[in-house]
Amino acid sequence: MSHTPQPQTTENAMDTVSHVKNSRRRIAATLAGVAGTIALAGCAQNAPQDTWVPKGDNAQKIDTLQKIVFPIAGIVGVLVLALAAYIFIKFRDKGQAIPAQSHGKPTVEIILTIVPALILTVVGVFTFRTIMDLAKTEDTQMVINVTGQQWWWEYDYPVQTEQGISQPIITSGQLVLPVGTNVLLRETSRDVIHSYWIPALNGKKDAVPGRIHLLRLQADKPGIYAGQCTEFCGLSHANMRMEAIALSKEDFAKWVANQQKAYTSPAEGTKAKEGETVFINQCSRCHQVNGLKDANGKAIISAPDENVYAGAAPNLSHLMSRNTFAGAMFDLVNQKCRDDVWNASSDAFGAKYLTGVTTDCLNEKNLRAWLRNAPAMKPMYSDPTKLAKTGGKYRGMPNLGLSEDDIDKVVAYLSTLK
Amino acid sequence: MFTPGSKYFLGLTGLALVSAVLYTFLVNPSDLGAYALFGLFLNAAVVAGFSFFTRDGDADTVEEAIAANTEASAPSFWPIVFALGGALVLLGLATNEVVFVIGLGVFAGGAIEWAIQNWADRASADSSFNSFVRHRAVGALDYPGLAAVALGVIAYLFSRIMLTVSKEQAPIIFIIAAAIVLTVGVLIGSKPEMRGKTSLIVVAGVLVLAIAGVSSGISGERHELAVVSEENPYAVANRECGAEASAHYDHIANNKVPLKSAVLATIFVKEGKISAQMVGLKKDVDTITIPRSNATSILFRNLDKEEHRLVANLGEVKVGSTDVMEKVGTCTQLTGKDQEQVLTVSIPKPSFANGPYSLTVPGIDGEIKVVVP
Ligand code: HEC
Ligand SMILES: [Cu+2]
Repeated sequence: MSHTPQPQTTENAMDTVSHVKNSRRRIAATLAGVAGTIALAGCAQNAPQDTWVPKGDNAQKIDTLQKIVFPIAGIVGVLVLALAAYIFIKFRDKGQAIPAQSHGKPTVEIILTIVPALILTVVGVFTFRTIMDLAKTEDTQMVINVTGQQWWWEYDYPVQTEQGISQPIITSGQLVLPVGTNVLLRETSRDVIHSYWIPALNGKKDAVPGRIHLLRLQADKPGIYAGQCTEFCGLSHANMRMEAIALSKEDFAKWVANQQKAYTSPAEGTKAKEGETVFINQCSRCHQVNGLKDANGKAIISAPDENVYAGAAPNLSHLMSRNTFAGAMFDLVNQKCRDDVWNASSDAFGAKYLTGVTTDCLNEKNLRAWLRNAPAMKPMYSDPTKLAKTGGKYRGMPNLGLSEDDIDKVVAYLSTLK
Repeated sequence: MFTPGSKYFLGLTGLALVSAVLYTFLVNPSDLGAYALFGLFLNAAVVAGFSFFTRDGDADTVEEAIAANTEASAPSFWPIVFALGGALVLLGLATNEVVFVIGLGVFAGGAIEWAIQNWADRASADSSFNSFVRHRAVGALDYPGLAAVALGVIAYLFSRIMLTVSKEQAPIIFIIAAAIVLTVGVLIGSKPEMRGKTSLIVVAGVLVLAIAGVSSGISGERHELAVVSEENPYAVANRECGAEASAHYDHIANNKVPLKSAVLATIFVKEGKISAQMVGLKKDVDTITIPRSNATSILFRNLDKEEHRLVANLGEVKVGSTDVMEKVGTCTQLTGKDQEQVLTVSIPKPSFANGPYSLTVPGIDGEIKVVVP
């Protein structure tokens, strides 16, 4: 193919110049915009997952390390970029002759090897020490099993009499732990790899099926510490959150006592009692409520292993003792009550959290929406016609097609599960 | 002269050594960190050594390098073979072990041949000399490699024949075959005029072997071998969990457990007593809590002289639609002194529904309670 060069008129050339100027201006504007956004994002007021605000020993260790490494890395980064920019501009092609080429300059090379090596040595020693510190388990005071599945976390507390746990406890979404206690999480997964991360309390640790990974947690003060799954785990990965709730030792004991409390069936003739029947028919094949019995007095044992791909669904025995649900994604309490708990001082926090979801606080809108059509709130693989891959089992909670009347009853029933 | 590559890795070696020493003295001499840093040091040193001695696979001096690179590299099909090997490896991971192993072979072969060709292309400015060094280097690998493959094929075909014929026939066939090979060898050696026909004889021999091997492979192994390989010692029906040895289940015990990081608890037998520890807690516990419906592994370690096995008692179920109750459970094989086995259980029902669950060791008093919330 031949190519005829276009004769360039002055007008044309002027056009090009102004075009270049324009596009430069546009690039500059974009860059400024990006930089501005980043700067503003850095100033966020309400950032519960900020990695620079440690609230416990382990996170403190990471923070101490990062306060050393980050400035070093930052200074080196800026220096290198500035030097590169200087070289790009200074030696850009201005049509000058190619200078004489030399092969290496030992002094420079030696300096450029030794200086980074020294920097890396310092960083390396501190980093390794922190990693090893965070891997210790000798000082564990309490263990909790943490099991991830699409798309929520289950916690079960093994029997530990010295912590007042004489019966195993099982809950989901919100991990409750006593302050000032070295808690060791034993993480695993029922389906794919997930990762547990409460930035204020420690770094992240993968939860891998068939393996048990240990993660230390310790919280200095009572409060709620937010986190989220940080290993891409499918459709609703973004909706797989969790919260760690730290309670004073006395409050923790109260929480334990409540979790071990026996089941009380709603009084005959109430709406909640009707709700219990709906629950038995519609929900108990997946969800366990400990102590729930059928009309003949026979204990009802759920069979999530037959209905859900992961083999588990949240245990709802004490649903109303937590204030978020479905992977800590939705509030079980209304905005006012939520603010009340989240913003409580650390002295007042425990009592507020332990109150649970009262009738005044219940976020009926969220709970009803969930019961009406759960997959509409949180994407899940719950279309019954498309379950061939999982052998007819759901991943997530399906739309059960409940009538509004049934929903009323079920909400009344769930409200009794304190 | 130090090449750029060796400089880089020497730098890394020094860095790792200094870090390792500092770490050992300042932090902790005996934890994993020290091992990791010393490991890095050793690795970097080896790589530095390689790149130093091979001059980064480059020429000695700048002049030589320029001269060597004036000849364009010869076109090569090894990169394609290499890529094919990679694809086969991945395919094999997803489908079938055989494909995986073949893939590994193709992958390694392609990599070696490619590396050698590339190296030879830059050995000098003279392409005929380059091709000579290439052949010399490759020949040293190709012939033994091909010979090994050929021997493997012959041995495999022969083994098929031996597995098919009866125990009595096998030695006779072996003797006859060996005699034929010896006779032919002697004939070729002593009668120079036969030498021209060597390849013909070899081809004929291979052909006979191939036909016999394939047909016996198809007709299957002899009866008693087939029966043994069909029996699965781990089958539930063969899993006899008593104190005494089971003829089937205790057949091929492995008694070594890798991946200890995957176990939730360890059960010990020591001085006739059973004890348990949960991962992450350094003390004995009498109850272990296992998450519901999730495959969970428990390690059994026997520290006593007598052989023991660990039994998981997981409640009872109704047999079919009858009212007869049958115990549910599983067990490890008999485990000798200082040996270990793993028991993996997935318990779909909570212990308050179907329990109580426990772990016991036949012949030893006591139990470890198992709780499933
Ligand atoms: C096919 C099994 C299945 C059935 C039937 C089912 N659910 Fe669910 N449910 C799930 C799964 C799985 C989740 C966890 C979803 C998530 O968070 O991603 C869930 C979550 C929930 C949660 C949130 C719990 C928490 O702690 O986060 C509530 C509340 C709930 N379901 C109520 C009900 C009620 C009420 C019914 C009956 C009307 C019902 N479910 C029927 C499987 C089921
Ligand atoms: Cu996840």
